[in-house]
Amino acid sequence: MSTFRLADVPMAKDRTEGFRYVSAAGEVVRSVDDGSWFLTSEEAVRFAQRHPEIFASHGATSGGGTIPIPLVPVGTDRPAHTKYRKILDPMFSPRVINAMEDDLRGQIRDLIAAFADKGECDVVADVARLFPAQVFLTFFGLPLADRDQLIDWVETILDNSIGVGTAEGKPPVAVATRELLTYITSYIEKKRQEPSDDVLGRILALQGDDAWTTEELLGFVFVFTVAGLDTVAAAIGFTMRHLATHPELRRQVIADPALIGPVVEEMLRLEPPAPGVTRITTQDVEVCGVRIPKGESVVLYMGTANRDPGRYTDPDTFDLAHSELGHMTFGGGIHRCLGSHLARRELRLVVEEFHKQIPEYEIAPGFEPEVKWPSGTIRLASLPLKFPTTAEKR
Amino acid sequence: MMRLHIDYDLCSGNGRCYAMFPDLFTDDESGYGQTLNGGVVTDAELAHRATLCCPEKAISVEEI
Repeated sequence: MSTFRLADVPMAKDRTEGFRYVSAAGEVVRSVDDGSWFLTSEEAVRFAQRHPEIFASHGATSGGGTIPIPLVPVGTDRPAHTKYRKILDPMFSPRVINAMEDDLRGQIRDLIAAFADKGECDVVADVARLFPAQVFLTFFGLPLADRDQLIDWVETILDNSIGVGTAEGKPPVAVATRELLTYITSYIEKKRQEPSDDVLGRILALQGDDAWTTEELLGFVFVFTVAGLDTVAAAIGFTMRHLATHPELRRQVIADPALIGPVVEEMLRLEPPAPGVTRITTQDVEVCGVRIPKGESVVLYMGTANRDPGRYTDPDTFDLAHSELGHMTFGGGIHRCLGSHLARRELRLVVEEFHKQIPEYEIAPGFEPEVKWPSGTIRLASLPLKFPTTAEKR
Repeated sequence: MMRLHIDYDLCSGNGRCYAMFPDLFTDDESGYGQTLNGGVVTDAELAHRATLCCPEKAISVEEI
């Protein structure tokens, strides 16, 4: 059984190189950084996803530095997890999102209109960071005016956190977490007085055995913000970079918007924003012939499982045919990403609305998109684009 | 004739089936997939493709 060091993985410029490096080490390998086990093949990851009683979530990921928060629902196990998801799944289902789509579309249209006549933008700063934050505020019934403050807290928490999917880290994490929780608490108090038809209001309205404590609700909001903003931002960045560097594909997508879904899926497969999730073993277990003892930290590495040659022909190649085969970017099993339907809708709306206003563009000459590494979330820090303005086109 | 079947012990509500094959599947209020028309599909190749879309491998097909 072999080992690797996260800092040695050549991920910053090219994920194909990075993920190949990790999967070349084996199906079940160890990081020398903290001794975590990495499951890298589709079979190994699926085995762990299907056995949540062996690969537990409680205690696998800590939140907010020194502040103890129940990480609802992602850091819980059965039976509590089942109770949470029964309540939350219908709140983030495609039907609910359909009813919000016009509102969300209007918001992304306005964000793009703000720079459409300027001839340049930074996709990350001007679209990808802003839109997921607005979507969160809209769903949870919070003022859009709080967007920039919210983003600041979330980025402080994530930028100062260490490792794959952990929120442990430097003192600013605890400060930002406390401020974020204080902010949410003030709205919980407000919404207790005045019931509202949004996610916060609907959870507060739960009665009897279904009712949540304030701590559970705060934990859920914390998880949603640290997991649901940065990741969607990352996926927007990767999708737009690919379309910027593949003008022929871009023109096909503009001519046939039905291709947007497959493009987004194939991008999610190749560039998963959160390539690994952590579990703790509750017993000794054998995975693909390797014995992992009880109490060990195990990373389900979807980034490499998504490129398993057993599932995909030419797994490292962008090919829309792959999009029919599914991928593991949103995880799987009982912990499948609660926000997956919402994330997919956000991505589709961004691609649709961006190209309605700006069909032709290119990456600013000389700019080389890179990701920060090692990092829990893999995302482009910046994606500057140049495009002809309406005046130039006339 | 073929019949598609969703194994709800494995289905986790990814929603790929009804997004990609809206003539064969629909969604419930929690975002989980359901077969349409009792899962009966005449086109065997289409039915086979539909089994591949599920990230959980929860969809199976049988000849009827």
